[in-house]
Amino acid sequence: MTEQTGMPPEKPRASALRMALLLILPVIVLAGVIVLFVQTGGGLTLRPPAPVEDLTVLGTRLERGHIAIDVRNSGPETLTVSQIVINDAVWPFEIEPSPMIPRLGRATIHLDYGWSQGEAYAIRIFTSNAIAFDAVIPVAFVTPKPRAATFLNFTLIGLYVGVIPIFLGLFWFPALRQLGRRWFTFLMAVTAGLLVFLGIDTFTEALEKAASAPSPFQGVGIVGIGAVATFLLLDAIGQRQTQTGRGDEDRRMQVALLIAVGIGLHNLGEGLAIGAAYGVGEIALGAFLVVGFIIQNITEGLGIIAPVLRDRPSVGRLALMGAIGGGPAILGAWIGGFIPSLTLAVLFFAIGTGAIFEVVYEIAKLIQRDTAKEPMPIVIFSGVLVGMLMLWVTGLLIK
Amino acid sequence: MSANNSLSRRNFVRASLLSVVGAAGAAATGEAAGSGRAPALQAGDGHEGMPGPVGEVDHTRNGFNPTDILTDFNWGDRISVLENGQTLREYDVFAGDKTIEVMPGIEFAAWTYNGRVPGPTFRAEEGDRVRIHFINGSSHPHTMHFHGIHTYEMDGVPGAGPGLIEPGESFTYEFDAEPFGLHLYHCHAFPLARHVAKGLYGAFIIDPPGGRPPVDREYIMVMNGIDVDYDDVNDFYAVNTIPFHFALHPIQFHVGETVRVYLVNILEFDLINSFHLHANFFQYYPTGTSLTPIEYTDTIIQGQAQRGILEFKYKYPGLYMFHAHVTEFAELGWTGHFEVLP
Repeated sequence: MTEQTGMPPEKPRASALRMALLLILPVIVLAGVIVLFVQTGGGLTLRPPAPVEDLTVLGTRLERGHIAIDVRNSGPETLTVSQIVINDAVWPFEIEPSPMIPRLGRATIHLDYGWSQGEAYAIRIFTSNAIAFDAVIPVAFVTPKPRAATFLNFTLIGLYVGVIPIFLGLFWFPALRQLGRRWFTFLMAVTAGLLVFLGIDTFTEALEKAASAPSPFQGVGIVGIGAVATFLLLDAIGQRQTQTGRGDEDRRMQVALLIAVGIGLHNLGEGLAIGAAYGVGEIALGAFLVVGFIIQNITEGLGIIAPVLRDRPSVGRLALMGAIGGGPAILGAWIGGFIPSLTLAVLFFAIGTGAIFEVVYEIAKLIQRDTAKEPMPIVIFSGVLVGMLMLWVTGLLIK
Repeated sequence: MSANNSLSRRNFVRASLLSVVGAAGAAATGEAAGSGRAPALQAGDGHEGMPGPVGEVDHTRNGFNPTDILTDFNWGDRISVLENGQTLREYDVFAGDKTIEVMPGIEFAAWTYNGRVPGPTFRAEEGDRVRIHFINGSSHPHTMHFHGIHTYEMDGVPGAGPGLIEPGESFTYEFDAEPFGLHLYHCHAFPLARHVAKGLYGAFIIDPPGGRPPVDREYIMVMNGIDVDYDDVNDFYAVNTIPFHFALHPIQFHVGETVRVYLVNILEFDLINSFHLHANFFQYYPTGTSLTPIEYTDTIIQGQAQRGILEFKYKYPGLYMFHAHVTEFAELGWTGHFEVLP
């Protein structure tokens, strides 16, 4: 064994000790270097010519006659909040826990300010170094509190944009299973197209959110980690299931389930975005918009059933998949509406991205299996394109 | 950042910036008129939804107090008589770089004449000889450009006479004080807007021969703006540099006293500024070049570098606002109170 790996033939115990020491040695040296550097500054005389400060506005909360602003210090050093200007008026404020906010620390600024319903407010936060940071309230209204009524409202939002459309899509099952083999392949390609579109959309959303999340949390890094980890995890689960040696029917069922998971994660992100936007008044969920979401997401239900059209899944199974695909929209709306966090949103969108692209990969493998004997490139091309176009066209209704 | 400036909940501005005048008379007690004390009438615990800063700037550390500047007229650091009988007034001016706490907790890297913003208020009589011994102790070249009648060499602009006065260099500007009126001076190095906005300006009063008719109170008010983040937009506005100062520390005088305000607008970046007096009217002498007022009004507008003299007296005691009727300037600091004592 030792000879095979090229290790010197020593006694195992002595070798383990030596190994441990060798492993620790660089750490000890590193510790020494850090101590030396912290004590002497390493001879570096570079000082920033101007103070470097960064303050991220996490959100604003409005009550009658009162505005609360949550901020996080995302700069390298402690900063001090000195004055607040709201709509061109210097305004008295309170700040808790302290006007001095340590790196990555949070604080809440309170203003007793008689704001008016529906108007816009621009708030400037001045630090002691005369650096200004802006918080914007595009439309002022009382921030919804987690009361039963708002809870119900967010549940309804999730139900409308996630659960109902997907179940509506499932109702195509009886009709579609009458179709021929080529049509099955076509529908699988459509599903792949839908998912590619959703994947790109989710990925862009993740990057967009990452750009405005507090910089020390490295939003783009979170996108990478979340997406890659989810992709590889689902892939590992998939391969493990395949290794247990089940038939093609099980395999297709499993892909359908994966599609449901992928779409579910996408809808979690969608619910999150809607909930958060609703919470800050950036969206008016009118009937037209809800109808738009229903029309767009009905195609997602179609995607879930595509792989199992030739099989006989039980109604319970189908319902379960519908719930997995649509239900997370409700959860997302709750989270987005009540505890909006950009960093959390980035993570959810990243997970959604990884999941969706993994499912596309699974579908591609299925299609490849099905078309091994009878290649039909035009069917696949047109299917993928139709899938993408379907979402683009229905997207016109809600963008 | 000043360590003594704790932003606790009890430390709010308590001045009533929009207080009810009707209640003022009753509340304006005849307490000892000491500068630096809070107004007699207060708005309570700061929760009435009034604009205002949190805390107060450290005037001692700044080295000047807007209230002191009100009445600080410099008739000459040395006064003598020339052979031709002309009065010679000599002034010493030192330009420097100085950090000023303009708003509580907010530092501004200013450029100053004699360590204060606005710079000293020079005062002379028409026909006097004026000598300004200028030393540039700043890290940038500066000049002193006076509004008045003088030779080309004494105009204090780059290229004329000595041109820019380099750091460590000095020059003596010399001219006869004319015409009488309310004028100003400022640095004329380029970029001009920045050199002015950073604090290099002041008032220059030339009295008519024999002086203006005597009054009970004379105040110099230089309306200015502070662009703390250098985006060429004023973040705060003030009279004598510190926003809200005269809201926190009302200017006190008595009913029936004649008050003369020398009002100078040295605002940069905004085209106009204004002055509005509450519950009263004033006589207005634009540029102060005439002894006859042109208007009896309660609001005047001044463009950049415009100035004028206001004269008024109060009939009733109370705590009366004066502020820019460009109201967004008022809420960003250009507001104050006259506390008229019985």
